[in-house]
Amino acid sequence: MNVANPFADPLRFDRRVPECTVVIFGANGDLTKRKLMPALYRLAYERRLPASFAVLGNSRTPLSDDAFRDKMHEAVKRFLEDSPFDEDIWTSFARNLYFTAGDLNDPELFSKIGAKLGELRRPNVLYYLSTQPSYYGTVVDGLGAAGIGESRPGGWRRIVIEKPFGHDLESARELDTRIHKVFPEEEVYRIDHYLGKETVQNILAFRFGNGIFEPLWNRRYVNHVQITATESIGVEGRGAYYQEAGALRDMIQNHLLQVMATVAMEPSAVFEPDAVRDERAKLLRSIKIMKPEEVPLHAVAGQYRGFRQEPGVDAASQTDTFTAATFYVDNWRWAGVPFYVRSGKRMPKRTTDIAIQFNTAPHALFASQDGGPPTRPNLLILRIQPEEGISLRFMSKQPGSGMRLRPVSMDFNYGSSFGERSPSAYETLLVDAMVGDATLYTRQDMVEASWRAVQPVLDDWASRRFDFPNYEPGSWGPAEADAMLARNGHRWRNS
Amino acid sequence: MSVAVQPEKILRELRELWDELGRAEETPGGVLRACAMTLLVAAEERGEAEQVRKTLGVLMHDHPSRAIVLRSQEGSGVGARVFAECWMPFGRHQQICAEGIEITAGGAEMSEVVHVLLPLMVPDLPVVLWCRGGRAFTDPAIEALFPLADKIIFDSAAASDAKAALQLLRSLHARGRRVADLTWTRLTGWREVLSQLFDDGVLDPDAVASVRIVHGGSGASTCALYLTKWIEQGLPGARVMVESASDEPGIRAITLLGGSAEVSIRRTGPSCVEARAGGRSYRTPLPPVTEEALMREELSILGPDSVFDRVLA
Repeated sequence: MNVANPFADPLRFDRRVPECTVVIFGANGDLTKRKLMPALYRLAYERRLPASFAVLGNSRTPLSDDAFRDKMHEAVKRFLEDSPFDEDIWTSFARNLYFTAGDLNDPELFSKIGAKLGELRRPNVLYYLSTQPSYYGTVVDGLGAAGIGESRPGGWRRIVIEKPFGHDLESARELDTRIHKVFPEEEVYRIDHYLGKETVQNILAFRFGNGIFEPLWNRRYVNHVQITATESIGVEGRGAYYQEAGALRDMIQNHLLQVMATVAMEPSAVFEPDAVRDERAKLLRSIKIMKPEEVPLHAVAGQYRGFRQEPGVDAASQTDTFTAATFYVDNWRWAGVPFYVRSGKRMPKRTTDIAIQFNTAPHALFASQDGGPPTRPNLLILRIQPEEGISLRFMSKQPGSGMRLRPVSMDFNYGSSFGERSPSAYETLLVDAMVGDATLYTRQDMVEASWRAVQPVLDDWASRRFDFPNYEPGSWGPAEADAMLARNGHRWRNS
Repeated sequence: MSVAVQPEKILRELRELWDELGRAEETPGGVLRACAMTLLVAAEERGEAEQVRKTLGVLMHDHPSRAIVLRSQEGSGVGARVFAECWMPFGRHQQICAEGIEITAGGAEMSEVVHVLLPLMVPDLPVVLWCRGGRAFTDPAIEALFPLADKIIFDSAAASDAKAALQLLRSLHARGRRVADLTWTRLTGWREVLSQLFDDGVLDPDAVASVRIVHGGSGASTCALYLTKWIEQGLPGARVMVESASDEPGIRAITLLGGSAEVSIRRTGPSCVEARAGGRSYRTPLPPVTEEALMREELSILGPDSVFDRVLA
C-alpha cells in the first residue's frame, strides 16, 4: 500500500522510518553496543520506529534471541546518553530483536539470514556492516550469492558501511567494485558519523542560511583555516587496530577532510542529497595533490611517548598517533589559502574546532598607541565539540582614556540557544538511511578524492623511518607541526 | 527591586542586573546572555506567580528570551521588577542567563501598561504573547496586547465557555493573527500515533468508513472539536462520531472501522496509549503535556502552522 498519509504534520511529527529489518553484522561488537543499539532504542523511545521494526543481529558467537536481547538490554542501559531508560518501551522494542549466529566466511550463514528475513516479512532491509573492515567484501559477496542484496518491487535493500573504506586509494576502489556487483550506488550508504553531528550540519546553516558571512568566505578575506580534532586519551585498548590505521587514515582522510569540504564547498542550488554531495565531492577533488618533494614540508607525523608500550602495539611501531597537514584548494575561491588540518591522541584536551582566520585590517591605525597589543586578526571559530558553538573574535577599545585596543570574543553557544536534546549522530544517520536520504553520507567519488589527497603522504611515510616517539603525552604534538605553520608566518591556536 | 513603570528605568535596572551577574564571584567563567525572542506573559492572580516563574525557568533553557510577565493585582498600584533566570549547562563552565521583567498593575491600570511595553521589547526578534488562564478570553486589557505579538498562545481548556473561546481564536485567525491553542498542542501525541497507522500502511484512508472518538469530561470540549475536525479533513469519506465518557477530561480512545478491519488507540495510563491493529498491539508513550512541554512545542513554531490553521478555519 503506497498511499499518501492524510494525517502528516511534518512541523510537529518527527520523520519516521518505514517498516524494515536492520541486519547488523558484528552485533556483538563495541559499535553495536555503544552506538547502534542505544540509537535505535532512542528512536523507539521517540516513537519514530514502526511497531513492526525488527533487528536481526549476527556474530560468530552462538546466542539465542533471548540471550541477544539480554545483552542489548544491558548495553543500552549502560551506554544510553542524555536520555532516560524505560523498561516498558524496551520490552516492546526488544520483542522484535532476533539473532542468527554464523561465520561470515560460511555461505550457509547468508541462506539462514535470507530464510529469517522471509519469516520476518518486513518489506525493507538495511544491512549494517559493523564488522572488521577486512570482512566488508566477504559480507557483500555472501549477500549477493544468497540473492538477498537486490531491491525488489515494494521493498528496498540498502547497505551501510562503516569507515574505513579501504586503507588506500587502490583498496577503496577494489572494495567499491565488489560492493557494486551487488548494490547499486543509490543503495550504498558510507557512514562518516562526523557528518551526522548537529554542529557539523550547522556549518551549512551558518554559511548558507546567513547573508553576511558568505561574501567574506574566500581568499580575499580569509588568511588561513585551521581544523583541529584532538583527544586527551590514547588508543584505549584499540592498539592493534590503531597500529594499522594511524591518525592520517583514522581521522584526516575521512572525518576531517569531510569537515574541510563542508567548510569550503560552494553552495548547492538546492538542498537535496546529490546536489549537496556534488559540491562536497567537487571541493575534495579540488584539493591540490602534493608532489613527493612537498610532503616533508606539508605533512608532519608524530607519535606520543608510551604508544609502543600499549597492548597490541609493535615495540618499533611507525604508526602516527598525530598528523598535521597543510592542504591547498585549487579553485577560484581558495587559491593560496592554506587549510591546516591536525589530529592527535594524548593531546592536552579533547576538542574539535575549525578556526577561520581573516586578514588583518589593511592599515594599522592603532598600532602606535602605547600599551596596547598589536592589532590581531579577526577569528571565527566553529566549535564542534565539546562546547558546540560559534565565536567571533574582534578588536574593541579598552575602557578609559587613550585608544588601547584589546581582543574580545562574541559567543554563540549552541546548547544554550537550543536547549532541547540533540539527536546523536547515529540516530540522525540511521533514520536518514532508512528514509533514503543520503545527504550526510559519503559517496564513492568523495571517498576516492579524499584518498587521493592523502595518498602522497601515505606513500612517502611508508618509505621512511621516523624517530618516534617525538612528542610527550599532554603536549600539542611535535615541534615540526609548529614549524610547518611558522614557515607561512602562522601559528596553531592552542587553547 | 521595585521601580515605577518607566521603560528607561527598567532597562537601566536590567543593565545593572547584568553588571551584577558578571561580577558575581560564583561565576568565574562569566555569564552568557541568551535571547531569542520577547515572551510576553499575561498571567492572572498573585497565586500564579510562582508557577509562571517555574515554567519560565524551564522554558528559558530551550527558548531563552526576555520574559515580560504582566500580572494583574487589584489595589497594589503599578510596579515593576527585573530578574534573571540563570543555569549552568551540564559539563560547562559558563553560566547562561536570560532576563525577565515582572509588571504588576491593578485592572484599571493594566490598559495603560500596554504603552510602556513597546520600548521594553527586544528589537528585531519575534514577540510571542502567552495568555495564561481563562481571563484572556474576556479581558479587554489583554486584548489590547494582541497587536504587539507575532504569535498569540491561548489555552481554550481554561476558558469558561469553550465555544466562545473557539470563536475568538477563529476571529483572530481570520484577521490574520497567528494564534495557537495549547489544547491543540495536547493532542500532538494522539495525532502522531494515529498518523503512524497510516504511515505503516495498517489502514487505507479510502477504506475507513467510520471513526469513534471517546473523550472524558462533561460538555463539549475544544479538544474533541479539534480532533473531530482534523479527522474529518483527513478522511472526508468517513463518519466521525464523538462520545463523552464519565472520566478525566481529554481523549480516551479513537476507533477506526473500515470493512472488516478495526483499529483502535486507547489510553492505558496517564501517559501511555495502546494501539491495536490487525491482531497486533503495541504500547507507546505520549509526550508529556505539562505546561512547560506544551509551551516548548509552541515556541518552536514561530512561522505558519498550516495544519492547525486548517482545523481552526
